[in-house]
Amino acid sequence: MRFADIRPGPVLVGVSHIVWRLPGRPATKMAEFAHTELGSGHDMLEACELTPRPEMRPLYFLHALDELRHSRMFRERARALAIERSRTQAVLDDSGYLHSHGIRGSDPLFTELGELDFLAFVWLHEQRGAAQFGIYAGLMDEDPASREMFARIEKDERFHIAYSRKELERLAAQGQASAVSAAVWRIRWRRFKQGWLRFSRLIGDTMAKLWLTVIYVVGITPFALIAKLTEREQGGLVPAEVDDRPAAQRALEQL
Amino acid sequence: MSRYVLGVSALYHESAAVLLRDGVVVAASSEERFSRQKQDSALPVRASRWCLEQAGISMADVEAVVYYEKPLRKFERILVSQLTGFPSTLPAFQRTALTWLTDKLWVRNALCKELGARPSQLMFSEHHLSHAASAFYCSPFERAAVLTVDGVGEWATTSLWQGDEHGLKPLSEVRFPHSLGLTYSAFTAFLGFRVNNGEYKVMGLASYGEPRHVDKVEKVLQGVDGGGFQNDTRYVAWHKSTVRSYSGAFEQLFGAPRQPGTPLDPRQGEGKHYADIAASVQVVLEERLLALAERLHADTGLDALCMAGGVALNVVANRRLLRDGPFAHLYVQPASGDAGGALGAAQWAWHEVLGQPRVDPGLTPGLGRDWPDDRVRTLLDELNVRFDDVADDRIERAADDIAAGKVIGWFQGRCEWGPRALGHRSILADPSRPDMQDRVNKVIKLREPFRPFAPSVTAEAADTYFDVPPGGEGPAEWMTIIGDTREEHREAMPAITHVDGTARLHRVRREVNPRYHALIEAVGARTGRPVVLNTSFNLKGDPIVSSPVHALSTLQSCEMDAVYLGPCRVARGQLPRGGAS
Ligand SMILES: [Fe+2]
Ligand SMILES: [Fe+2]
Ligand SMILES: [Fe+2]
Repeated sequence: MRFADIRPGPVLVGVSHIVWRLPGRPATKMAEFAHTELGSGHDMLEACELTPRPEMRPLYFLHALDELRHSRMFRERARALAIERSRTQAVLDDSGYLHSHGIRGSDPLFTELGELDFLAFVWLHEQRGAAQFGIYAGLMDEDPASREMFARIEKDERFHIAYSRKELERLAAQGQASAVSAAVWRIRWRRFKQGWLRFSRLIGDTMAKLWLTVIYVVGITPFALIAKLTEREQGGLVPAEVDDRPAAQRALEQL
Repeated sequence: MSRYVLGVSALYHESAAVLLRDGVVVAASSEERFSRQKQDSALPVRASRWCLEQAGISMADVEAVVYYEKPLRKFERILVSQLTGFPSTLPAFQRTALTWLTDKLWVRNALCKELGARPSQLMFSEHHLSHAASAFYCSPFERAAVLTVDGVGEWATTSLWQGDEHGLKPLSEVRFPHSLGLTYSAFTAFLGFRVNNGEYKVMGLASYGEPRHVDKVEKVLQGVDGGGFQNDTRYVAWHKSTVRSYSGAFEQLFGAPRQPGTPLDPRQGEGKHYADIAASVQVVLEERLLALAERLHADTGLDALCMAGGVALNVVANRRLLRDGPFAHLYVQPASGDAGGALGAAQWAWHEVLGQPRVDPGLTPGLGRDWPDDRVRTLLDELNVRFDDVADDRIERAADDIAAGKVIGWFQGRCEWGPRALGHRSILADPSRPDMQDRVNKVIKLREPFRPFAPSVTAEAADTYFDVPPGGEGPAEWMTIIGDTREEHREAMPAITHVDGTARLHRVRREVNPRYHALIEAVGARTGRPVVLNTSFNLKGDPIVSSPVHALSTLQSCEMDAVYLGPCRVARGQLPRGGAS
């Protein structure tokens, strides 16, 4: 079992260079990071509460504190860099961000994965984060405040990588090497699957939008005309529609 | 054998789950208290599961799982209103059709799959019926008029009811797109605050302004004969768009909207202008509510009013209703927003579907998650957090801290039901210190400096310090009404008195929260006034903390001095340092 850290590939570096230079993009990116870091913070706090292993609790707790701090730092930077304040603020205010981007589900990540896979997740995820933030720090020549922030965050991420790796190594040394290695692969596979799902959802949404446009333009026009004619524009108090059927019967209906 | 009903609200605003045992609330929580996602609207999977755990039962033991509205009827309304906006509603149509077709239309399936309910357990209430049931069945009145006002449910945005021994009878309603709640939210957005969250700020801002723009607001929202109202839809966009709530014509009327996140000084310049707009919309809202109340009073002839729906959280309007309106008694269901729909849905099913007689639902401020003392101690030990064990003198120690000018977190008993902190998860301080409002606003809650804090006062001393209109004592226990800080005490308690002399007081009775009551008395013994500054235990943008680790991470993230976590006092300096450091 090798615990080699991930190095940023040329594609990631190249894409980051382009993306980061788009106008308004840095602020949006920072706002998005504020969400993802907050999500990690919550994941870690939940792990801290849920882990059956008391010795892991303080590590998860410190990790959580770091992520929550990062989230606040990104939030501040996003505001400082915003060109169009209302747009950046809208991203920051999107309370459904983590759900809608599939970052957090309805169950705690710790419960979903279990301790071993969770550790593998932390180790891989933090490396990716560190690599990405490392690249960004290098792109911030004209923005020393952001550069310094990324550098500080990257330092924290190193700690997260280090403790999770140490724990995985310890487990591997205790004769669980194949279980650890399997966990790492499961997390890699999970990430690949999620990427694929995101991609197919994007395609699906685009196709759906196309179809919905067709339906809207071709199929809906006659109904729209009828709806306009029977428009319920009337304001003021109107008598409530009284449904005399027994409540038990009404309770079954969704319409 | 006990009978159980689970109420669920979700997929629009704040989601929640409430469990009734024989009609009495055993557990109630918003999903946000578990997911830590402020105003989380996802299906309350964790809140529901916790409710069942709390009662020691499984889903199979539940007689009915009641959803708070009719999802298909709501979809119908959205479709129809988009059709009438043809062809400008294409983007909105794409967006809503996508979310509804992939998600919201399948509520029945989701309740079964994610909550583990059987189809035969499912029931569907109606949005305003759920609000109305929560208000009436939680109220102390045998017969009452009921007014529910919010943004929109299925079609209704405002409903008038009569509640009595036969249940709830609908009288009349105002339908979408005409909406008091959406009007207030449109102004919230215009004033640069977040819709469904910043309405409180508009209300706070209003106190700084003069209602100079009432005539313009009345162009957007007019009263009509018979107590109702209507919107001029040229000024609004909520019926055509999923992202915009007001139109270009609205901007022509009121000028440029305020940029979110920019500094705001409501006393001068541009800030004053926005405060004047806030004051105007507040006045118009109050006038419309008064007209509705007059009509409801005329229709029912009753002297008690129950309220719920998001607009009932407007505590300034609630006082106006009681003071200037026709009703002598008022009850406001404390979780008036959509989270409270879960409570009402369950109560409606219990009383009107299952035909059970009225009972006292046992609504207390603490119906959420609890942490036994021993678990807190063990957790802190394992986290290497040093603490003082103050199990036997927590009240005296906390009172010492407050009297010494410290700001403390008070984490005791079960987490609150509803949006307000009521002495279970509160940040507390001495309101008589002149710098306290600034300090708590800037370095602890990180929120707008113009917003005042609420006082908690013992019920015995409430009248000495505050003036609440007759009939307002009950609502004051839930912070659903404001009072005036008495003239002679205003200067002495600047941190909890608003610029117009009002305070959103929290009247604490010994029987309801003995520990918190004792703390306020102990503070009174030291400062001469049994009053504390009380604000919710969370940072800006976070939901109220519900577990000890959230409390500790909040302590670490702001300049609070100490936290009283059950039997343990943790000072800021006793926390472990961050990872890399
Ligand atoms: Fe991080
Ligand atoms: Fe990290
Ligand atoms: Fe509602």
